[in-house]
Amino acid sequence: MMTSYAHPEVLVSTDWVKENLGTPNIKLVEIDVDTKAYEAGHIPGAVGFNWQTQLQDQVRRDIISKEAFEKLVGDAGISPSDTVIVYGDNNNWFAAYGFWLFKIYGHKDVRLMNGGRVKWLNESDKQLVTDVPQPTPVQYKATGPHLEFRAMVPLVFEASKGGWNLVDVRSPDEFTGKVIAPPGMSETAQRGGHIPNAKSIPWSTAVAPDGTFKSANELRSIYIDQKGVDPNKQTIAYCRIGERSSHTWFVLKYLLGLENARNYDGSWTEYGNLVAAPIEKA
Amino acid sequence: MDHTKRVYNDIFEMLPTEENPSPMVRINRLNPNPDFPLFAKLEWMNPFGSVKDRAAWTMLRDLEKRGEINEKRGIVEPTSGNTGISLAAMARARGYHMRAVVPNKVPLEKKLLLKIAGADLDVISDELCPAPGLGDGSINLAKTHAKAQAHRYAMPNQYENEHNVQAHLQTTGPEIWRQTDGRITHLFVSLGTCGTVSGTSKFLKSKNPEIKVIAVQPTEGHDVPGLRNVSQLGVSKLFDSSLVDDILEIEFRLAYARALDLCQNEGLLAGPSSGLIFEGTREIIMRDKKGLGVMIFPDNIFKYTSNMAKHIAGLMSGTQA
Ligand SMILES: Cc1ncc(COP(=O)(O)O)c(C=O)c1O
Repeated sequence: MMTSYAHPEVLVSTDWVKENLGTPNIKLVEIDVDTKAYEAGHIPGAVGFNWQTQLQDQVRRDIISKEAFEKLVGDAGISPSDTVIVYGDNNNWFAAYGFWLFKIYGHKDVRLMNGGRVKWLNESDKQLVTDVPQPTPVQYKATGPHLEFRAMVPLVFEASKGGWNLVDVRSPDEFTGKVIAPPGMSETAQRGGHIPNAKSIPWSTAVAPDGTFKSANELRSIYIDQKGVDPNKQTIAYCRIGERSSHTWFVLKYLLGLENARNYDGSWTEYGNLVAAPIEKA
Repeated sequence: MDHTKRVYNDIFEMLPTEENPSPMVRINRLNPNPDFPLFAKLEWMNPFGSVKDRAAWTMLRDLEKRGEINEKRGIVEPTSGNTGISLAAMARARGYHMRAVVPNKVPLEKKLLLKIAGADLDVISDELCPAPGLGDGSINLAKTHAKAQAHRYAMPNQYENEHNVQAHLQTTGPEIWRQTDGRITHLFVSLGTCGTVSGTSKFLKSKNPEIKVIAVQPTEGHDVPGLRNVSQLGVSKLFDSSLVDDILEIEFRLAYARALDLCQNEGLLAGPSSGLIFEGTREIIMRDKKGLGVMIFPDNIFKYTSNMAKHIAGLMSGTQA
């Protein structure tokens, strides 16, 4: 039987985006790992957010404050009633993180463009431009923070005792502790390994060879039947800095419908530095 | 053109052809099998320093013929260095601009040479994690430039451009056939875009289907610029497995060790991809016992001194006062 995603309305195709280019209340936001990609070319009308400097508090380690979010989004000409489409490179890693942030600050209609920037790039009927839009700033009033989307350390400790779905989306070598971070990554931790009771399900498990999400049936069969994620339990996804896990969090919550799914944005760069926190290896 | 006098009207007349082939030099001290003479085809003797002169020239000429480039509309190309250096030097000498997109892992020497040859440079961070459907970061960024600024850039795209294969079909293959008087039994090559292997193999096998074509690939997670492990070969649309008899996977550090051996025992200042090819060749000449082998040595060691320092223990010691 063919089942559909639990919340198909949060996912749009590249064709849908093309058809809706220039629609006044539909706003495009590109968020990339490689912060130079936007500059080289983006979807017409899209603004670019830099995850390093604009989505994170620049003093303490945290997501940006509500005020900073309101300013960033308002300056991009986005109103609370707008439909926001996020997309980016690396299979939407940071676009999913941006999606999560929009949810935390209560934006009603935010959606992810399936397949991200690469899918758009490789489709011959899709255009890229270099000119940066100059939106008229608006006053944006956020709600929240809606912390039911976010896991912090006390909850992670709770989950590590069992009875939760704790999903480690890093590579197998990071999970076993063979490496602390992928080669060349500067953010790291004092210790390698994983949180006790976590299951290793690398983020790419959710993605088809063309970079889009696998079908609802495939996702269900992998995550629930094969990997044993229990839809009736509370769920936390984590990775290294919280971006790859936003991608899996999106899959668990919106595509598979696990309503109580949270993203642990502190992830291994927090947990692997905690004194006396229990760690499992191999 | 008189290739005996070697006086030329411009640098392009020096590009390799059947009448002006890159030299082949016999391996002497490092060949343990007297029944299997081995020749290295020294591609660094090409005017811009590597095997990629051939593909770069053929792709550039095609763009010129089709009127795709002019003084306003130049070239953007993803490269591990050599194609970019050849293209940049050629393009600038003919009045076009050139942008090269390279992965960060490319040695500093090549990045500097690209700039010295007149290319604008984009350096992109290397792959973070295996990612489905993504392709290669430098190819994607080059495609982005070509798409977003089509009025400024044409993209030859050596990974998909049939002229990359044609170059070797028309030059490398015929050169080797003539230089060995048709006696070649084994061709040894590496795999990058796969232009070299596909074009040369196609020509030689059309002359003699018995010729064995052996390709080497470095182990995964390698640091041999220009080459691809089979897991990374998906982006090379020019790869044709029917033209390759064996693919050997070789520990990538041996590329550096064998390059050093060639430098110190044969006077061949060969780069790491040549080193990797040489290691694979030595395996095969012990297995197949008799024959006549030609190895295509893509470039020399000059662009890899910093990589050699990284991979050859003790090389840095005594280099500072
Ligand atoms: C040093 C070096 N060796 C080998 C190769 C592989 O040649 P090809 O791309 O024709 O497969 C390249 C090409 O980029 C190279 O730069």
